[in-house]
Amino acid sequence: MASIAGSSALSFARPVKAINTNSLAFSPVRKGNTFLHLQPMPMRSVSCAAKKDTVDKVCEIVKKQLALPDHTEVCGESKFSELGADSLDTVEIVMGLEEHFDISVEESSAQTIATVEDAADLIDKLVAGKA
Amino acid sequence: MAAAAAAPTRAEVLALFRSLLRTAKQFSDYNIREYTRRRGADAFRENRALADAQAAAAAFAEGKKHLEVAKRQALVYSLYAPKAKSVMELKVQ
Repeated sequence: MASIAGSSALSFARPVKAINTNSLAFSPVRKGNTFLHLQPMPMRSVSCAAKKDTVDKVCEIVKKQLALPDHTEVCGESKFSELGADSLDTVEIVMGLEEHFDISVEESSAQTIATVEDAADLIDKLVAGKA
Repeated sequence: MAAAAAAPTRAEVLALFRSLLRTAKQFSDYNIREYTRRRGADAFRENRALADAQAAAAAFAEGKKHLEVAKRQALVYSLYAPKAKSVMELKVQ
């Protein structure tokens, strides 16, 4: 394992950056990356917050779907109903998320989504389950 | 006659909407896909405040009929998919 890091350091001009990009490339693939702990991975058993990227992406899609002005504060805790979305809007938002993340949300799961955080959590779970 | 046509529940209506949007996704033609989505959303939004149970049931039955039509058409269109993609689908370069 040390030899892999060593050889990549030799083949690239800037070894620090090379090791970083290697770990970033490996981190989505869970198998065999126990030696690269540069990015903390959310464990599936512990329900921590959803990844920041996912939350941001969800916020973006929500804003686009509801045609909210750009400066609107959309964070993880925002409820869809507070943002002015009715249940039809919620269905459309979930479909948009399905399309963007290329996942398939169950009927029952979709009914329970009330905040941006819920949506991001569900997406992360489905993406992790798919990978 | 079906005098006891109960109004559809909220969950049923949302399920119908979701099926419609999913069916819309299957169209390879951009125009039809967008139209189905837009028309579906507009129709559901228009009828959202129907107080009368019978009117709601009628609208729900209409929606189901349209879903069947959309499903059949998705199949037919997939047989004759156009080779060129619509300009709206090209990524902004």
